[in-house]
Amino acid sequence: MLKLSKVSKIYEGKVAYRALTDINFEIEKGEFVAIMGPSGSGKTTLLNIISTNDQPTTGEVEIDGNNPHKLNKNALAKFRRNELGFIFQDFNLMHTLTVEENIVLPLTLDGARVKDMKEKAKRLANSLGIESIMKKRIYEISGGQAQRVAIARAMIHEPKLLLADEPTGNLDSKASKDVMGMLVSINEKERTSLLMVTHDPQAASYSDRVVFIRDGKLHSEIHRGESRQAFFQKIIDMLSLMGGDGNDFSSVRI
Amino acid sequence: MTFRQFAFNNVLRNKRMYIAYFLSSMFTVMVFFTFAIFAYHPAFSGGEVNDTARFGMGVAGGIIYVFSFFFVLYSMSSFLQSRKKEFGLLMMLGASNKQVRWMVFLENILIGFLATVSGILAGLVFAKAILLIAENVLIISESLYFYFPTMAIIVTFASFMFLFFCISVFVSIILRTNKLVNLIKGDKQSKGEPKASVILSVLAAMLLLVGYGTALYVKGVQVVFALIPVVIVVTLGTYLLFTQLSVYVVRRLKSNKPIFWRKTNMLLFSDLSFRMKDNARTFFMVAIISTVAFSAIGSLYGFQSYLTKGIQEVNPYTFTYSPWGGDSEEVTKKDISDFNAILKEENIDAEMESMELTYFETPEKDRNVMIVRASDYNRFATLIGATELDLKENEAIVVEQSGAILMDGTKASEVLMKSSVLLENGQEIQPSRVIESEVLLEINGYYVVHDQVYDKLGTPVRSEINVAWKAKEGQHDQVLQAGKKLSEQLEYKAFSVDYTLYEINKAYGPILFIGLFIGIVFFVSAGSFLYFRLFTDLEGEKRKFRSIAKIGLTQPELKKVVNRQVAILFFLPIVVALIHGAVALTALSRLFDYNLTVESSIVLGSFAFIQIIYFIVVRFFYVKQVNRSIM
Ligand SMILES: Nc1ncnc2c1ncn2[C@@H]1O[C@H](COP(=O)(O)OP(=O)(O)O)[C@@H](O)[C@H]1O
Ligand SMILES: [Mg+2]
Repeated sequence: MLKLSKVSKIYEGKVAYRALTDINFEIEKGEFVAIMGPSGSGKTTLLNIISTNDQPTTGEVEIDGNNPHKLNKNALAKFRRNELGFIFQDFNLMHTLTVEENIVLPLTLDGARVKDMKEKAKRLANSLGIESIMKKRIYEISGGQAQRVAIARAMIHEPKLLLADEPTGNLDSKASKDVMGMLVSINEKERTSLLMVTHDPQAASYSDRVVFIRDGKLHSEIHRGESRQAFFQKIIDMLSLMGGDGNDFSSVRI
Repeated sequence: MTFRQFAFNNVLRNKRMYIAYFLSSMFTVMVFFTFAIFAYHPAFSGGEVNDTARFGMGVAGGIIYVFSFFFVLYSMSSFLQSRKKEFGLLMMLGASNKQVRWMVFLENILIGFLATVSGILAGLVFAKAILLIAENVLIISESLYFYFPTMAIIVTFASFMFLFFCISVFVSIILRTNKLVNLIKGDKQSKGEPKASVILSVLAAMLLLVGYGTALYVKGVQVVFALIPVVIVVTLGTYLLFTQLSVYVVRRLKSNKPIFWRKTNMLLFSDLSFRMKDNARTFFMVAIISTVAFSAIGSLYGFQSYLTKGIQEVNPYTFTYSPWGGDSEEVTKKDISDFNAILKEENIDAEMESMELTYFETPEKDRNVMIVRASDYNRFATLIGATELDLKENEAIVVEQSGAILMDGTKASEVLMKSSVLLENGQEIQPSRVIESEVLLEINGYYVVHDQVYDKLGTPVRSEINVAWKAKEGQHDQVLQAGKKLSEQLEYKAFSVDYTLYEINKAYGPILFIGLFIGIVFFVSAGSFLYFRLFTDLEGEKRKFRSIAKIGLTQPELKKVVNRQVAILFFLPIVVALIHGAVALTALSRLFDYNLTVESSIVLGSFAFIQIIYFIVVRFFYVKQVNRSIM
């Protein structure tokens, strides 16, 4: 469903900086993949290239057999809105809108019918447990609730691929667990492919597969076995093996 | 980083706000200075401009100065507003209240000083152009040559350094530094949506309707009495319109899902309603200031046209001669030959007609009325190309000047139609109809009768000679020269329309120029209020668009939202001001009973046109800014 071949990214500037080198990488339909790596290793860059917010310097990205980077700017914006779903660390919600309005925002831009939008929003809100706060504004709800609203917004178009950059980065551990649970259930129920960048081994352990990158190159990957607990342990081991500028994972070494 | 470095870096980082603040301060200084150059011009210290005009200029200078004060104060406060977060950061880093205030004070004094100096320099550059414009608007015989305006420089520099000093002290004192620390965290949090009261919204609509209704209903002198109450009612109505009614309308729109949930509307209206309270104040100020500008310029222009067109209409001849009551036949003969001599001297090609204007007693014996022989009337009519009259035997026609109204409010024709023409043999002829014409000047109207009837009138009670000349087209300069000579040699007996208009325009010039100047200053500063409003919110807007662009927003969608947003900001208050202005000018036209449609349309249309250009320019840069931030 998603296929990267030999993707490299060089940031031009006073000093050109090579952020990604020859990344080859694939995701199957319905798969849930986590990307981990030290700070500055190129995770966000990789996600931006997949999300079409940024262009690769060389290499190809294929989503469902098509290369979105060949589209013009406006078609790309539409593609992003219709085919991809986004979840951000800072939720990226509009403060002047209510929860419900935030959820339907992408649909309104496409001129959908009010009745359809309301129905879809309601269904998503029920499955995410936010139906009671639909009329509230973003500053009136908690971080965990905000991230669930963001998930609802990302899912309203029934995207093929859901991209998440540190979705639990601003949440406490209880809220993190809730949000990860939601993502897993969406992944299982809707068969939506999911790609998530994270620092948090706990969050990563919900995935089917964790890909580690370092200095812009693929380092290694591990698959989930039977138990999540064992997977979690394997992730922690891998992280301490990669170590390097350890500060980044300090939270893990308790 | 030292405190000074920090302050310095701030200037660099916030350069757009600094530039906007600096430019509007500079603009204010420049306006005042240009006005001072004009007011202190040596040409005015002589007799050319009288004391009243000089007093007028003093008052105008005062108005500009007071207005500058508020304008700078407003610019400065919106400048500080946009930097609150930065002050909060400073205080979190440990700067004391005193330090922040001192910094604000120093910064403002520095910007004020630079603005004053560069405003004066810019003024000097434009001085020549301004004097040239003034020379053309103000018909003055001496030219407004360029001079070195020492006095204007001193006055401007002193006035504005004083102004900036006062405002800097004032602002740094009232800066509520203790609240600033909260701001840095509170930046992202909205205080919630402003609410509107239904009662006040209805009141807004009612006040405006009553104000407009009254302004459009009153006539003549009533307009003067209605002026103050209407201004108060409409001002209050405008305030409530923006603070209540518009908030109410936007809220209603938001609760209407088919509209609010349609395409980009959600992006457009959500912020609009949140910012309505801030916007409302700007809208109100811009609307009122623009209304003042529109009405002032419209009235001055309209009044000029009323004066000049009125005179032009009732005086279709190039020159006329009418002697004093007691002048003997020899005197008038000599006058007329002198008159013709002057025209010859100036090489004027003109045709002349003369006739005796004769007055007879009315049947009611209460007054005298002018009666004119049809052939005499037609000779004069031919001269100015008016329609000739074809009268039947025994017919009399009432002629009145168009639009002329007698002191008691009736029309001249009403009186004349009721009365009749009395023949010597006692017979009376009833007038058959009324026509309007400007062939002869007689405010009370007159009868035109068939030549045969005229011969039966007997001897007139009173008669005087009336001579008129009509010059061929395209001799304007000679006609003016002749008019000047005639008015010197045959004072009060000779009348030249063109020369009279020239004299009126000359006297009216300074008033028009000053009015225009102040009007334009008001209008331009209204534009700068809008600019400040727009760019104060720019950061928030960028953040909003950046976050939506990540999810996917096409260029046309972005342009549509920005377009409408800027359009609402730029046109809502101006449209209100245009309507206010149109109502005000209509009331003015009813005061004089003179049609000002053309004049109003020209003035209001020009302002609307300028605003559209301004909108296009600002929108271009705004879209560019937003686009750059989401790339
Ligand atoms: N727009 C940019 N221009 C130049 N260099 C960049 C840009 N964005 C990221 N980088 C650099 O690329 C590297 C990878 O960044 P990023 O993908 O954000 O890392 P991560 O998300 O893994 O922490 C970093 O060294 C960063 O400094
Ligand atoms: Mg990152």
